[in-house]
Amino acid sequence: MATTTDGPLSGIRVIDHGHVWAGPLLGMSFKDMGAEVIKIQSPTGGSGVSMAGKGMAGTATRDAVDVSDPMAYHAFDRGKKSLSLDLQSEDGKEIYKKLVAVSDVVVENFSARVMPSLGLGFDVLTRVNPKIILASLSATGATDGPWRDLVTYGPSLAALYGIKSVLGYHDSDHPQEDQADLDPTAAGHAFFAILAALESRDATGRGQHIDIAQGEACIQRIAEPLMDYFLNGRVAGPQGNRYPATAPHGHYKTSGLDEWISISVRNQDEWEAFRDLALQNSKNITNSKFKTLQSRLDNQNELDQTIESWTKNYTAMQLTKILQKSKIPAYPVMGALDLVNDENLNSLHRTHITVTDDNFSPDSLYRGVIWKLEKGQGEITGPTPSTGAHNGEILLDLLGYEEGEVLEFQRNGII
Amino acid sequence: MDINGPLKNLRVLEIGDFISVAYAGKLLADLGAEVIKIEKPVTGDSLRNHGPFPKDIPHIEKSGLHLFLNTNKKSVTLDLATKGGQDLLIAAAADVDLVISNLALGDTTNDSLNYESLSKENDMLVMSSITIFGYDTPYRDWAGTALTATAASGASMKIGSPDKVPLWLPYCAADFQGGIHGAIAALLALRKKRQLKQGLHAWISVVEVMASYLGGSGVPGFVFQGVLGSRDGTHRSGFYPWQVTPASDGFVEVITMVDEQWKRFINLMDNPDWANDPRLSDRWLSFEWHKELDAFWHPWMKGKTRSELFKLFSENRIPFQPVNKVDEIVESEHLALRKFWHEIEHPVVGNYKIPGAPYLFSQTPWAVYRPAPQLGEHNDEFFETRLGLNTSERTDLIKQGIT
Repeated sequence: MATTTDGPLSGIRVIDHGHVWAGPLLGMSFKDMGAEVIKIQSPTGGSGVSMAGKGMAGTATRDAVDVSDPMAYHAFDRGKKSLSLDLQSEDGKEIYKKLVAVSDVVVENFSARVMPSLGLGFDVLTRVNPKIILASLSATGATDGPWRDLVTYGPSLAALYGIKSVLGYHDSDHPQEDQADLDPTAAGHAFFAILAALESRDATGRGQHIDIAQGEACIQRIAEPLMDYFLNGRVAGPQGNRYPATAPHGHYKTSGLDEWISISVRNQDEWEAFRDLALQNSKNITNSKFKTLQSRLDNQNELDQTIESWTKNYTAMQLTKILQKSKIPAYPVMGALDLVNDENLNSLHRTHITVTDDNFSPDSLYRGVIWKLEKGQGEITGPTPSTGAHNGEILLDLLGYEEGEVLEFQRNGII
Repeated sequence: MDINGPLKNLRVLEIGDFISVAYAGKLLADLGAEVIKIEKPVTGDSLRNHGPFPKDIPHIEKSGLHLFLNTNKKSVTLDLATKGGQDLLIAAAADVDLVISNLALGDTTNDSLNYESLSKENDMLVMSSITIFGYDTPYRDWAGTALTATAASGASMKIGSPDKVPLWLPYCAADFQGGIHGAIAALLALRKKRQLKQGLHAWISVVEVMASYLGGSGVPGFVFQGVLGSRDGTHRSGFYPWQVTPASDGFVEVITMVDEQWKRFINLMDNPDWANDPRLSDRWLSFEWHKELDAFWHPWMKGKTRSELFKLFSENRIPFQPVNKVDEIVESEHLALRKFWHEIEHPVVGNYKIPGAPYLFSQTPWAVYRPAPQLGEHNDEFFETRLGLNTSERTDLIKQGIT
């Protein structure tokens, strides 16, 4: 029986084929919230591209892991179990099916052709275990079409699906690079979808296949320009920091080097409070050009210059505190170093930049668990496993193989 | 149409305003949950007043954001700033599984609608709150929007040119992320409720969600590698190439970490001599010379259209893709074959399309059962059937401006 402190997913077993970012993050989400997650890796090393290392710490899984490396602890396989398995071999497939029979969820982010070509498509898995939920996160979906099986990364997929076309300065059509957050967005949608499928499975006893095209999951965030196209035929380009029906709305220079404050005024009441504060340094703020929302939108360049003549006299945090006292949305535009020292993020220590683990790297900060439950909330439970670290436990205890059989698998390179 | 989504047994109240909570509600409703959206009388949710509107003429039933975000929901008007409105909400919460909220914290009106008061008559109630800064943190009462949350998360400082203002993720991307994770927190808490046989409160911080998306370019990059991270404009540092590159008729995203893919790209250009330039020998270090290196191959790209390049790259399994514009993605053959765009018929607006299913379920599909509701469309059902109010009680509520 689950107790108060157990994560809400205790009792759920997940098979994780994740590689690079979206897949491993999805597996980690289950693990952090209490599920048992078994990561399948190739006995010869690697389940795909390993992005950890140079310049990409923490964004990716590591396939060959040095557990004394803090990056490995931080990466997206923390707390998982590792089973090495050659899925090309007949024995490997047999072991895999036995594991499917005692599992609840399978997650994979291969190209759509991979699992069926291994003979492990949903039709096969559901015969082994009708309760199984298979979530497939491919870039463009499992449907036949010109983009099926496209080789892609998050940033190029964001370009293909139109998301990048609106990211940039309003006076140039050349898009800018961003954080490349397609992968975590897709992983979030997939996590939600699987949790929903678990609800229906608990009611009906029946699992199902969920086909997630990462591009389609992410395109929802540009619903606003898409709706403008559907309703008016207008094609949006980059907008800078501007937003329809909102002004002021932007980032303004403050007193420090490359230091900015983000300010967003939502309605006329907030505007009037803002104007009264800015009046101290900037008489032009009472200009009739800024009186109504429409006039502010019509004179946005001048409005922004006027505001900047005020904001540049303060540090970003000083001014944030002044504006927040009047309930006006504002915050410093944070860099990486600011984030490490951010009072609010640090107060989420159980979660965000969470725990320090003496066994690993005493001074390091780890990304936490973002879903807070007042009871049974998530936690980081352990390091990234080395490849095959749990072969014995899984094959002997869970699947009931004999020791001799396991040794044989090992000799033949099956595990 | 029979409701067959995986969440068809879930009854939800949605309170708050604008995108984040509405998106959480949409994700639940499109999978079959019954979601009752509580809106301010007369003006409704500010989504209704935001647009985009057909022909730019404002109309509370015609805002594009509202039409997209409120599919499948029921609309009830109730003024939660009044004591009468709050009492009715608490009474309604006795009969649902879940309340989702993005009410601003630190506002006395909103603070009286916390988990404790809403669960007064329903100890199995689950509530999921989407907050900007968090629920029990120092800045919990600070005001925020998608713009300031993106800045607070560290994402904005990494977008844009180093000599220009940093950029947000446009169109309130952070609010959409808040919606996804608010909906996840709700389903996690519903599982926990069944384990405990007791309701509970769950919450997320939009700033934290966005910060968690940063990966190596944010906190971990700093902690493990001392990388402070700057804005690199149309490029990203880290490895080379990672950039938005001009073609003859627009732009192409060029990124690869895999050497074989880079070699295939070089092959496409007939293996020019510059490909052996020592500055390309370790592409993790090449960014430092990106101006000089770009000059080698940008002219080749500029001489071709995006579709010529896309064809070449796809045939050669190179992961470079065109920057499509909004109309181009809507007209794409692939998304048509996926039946991605969803046609809606609305009694006031007429016919239009919306972006469709984020996921295809083999058994319990995503579906649009009804278009976004008209303001207060479900008031009768709510006040009479659910709350059992008679005609004169309802007339009183209307007179007091509570509904």
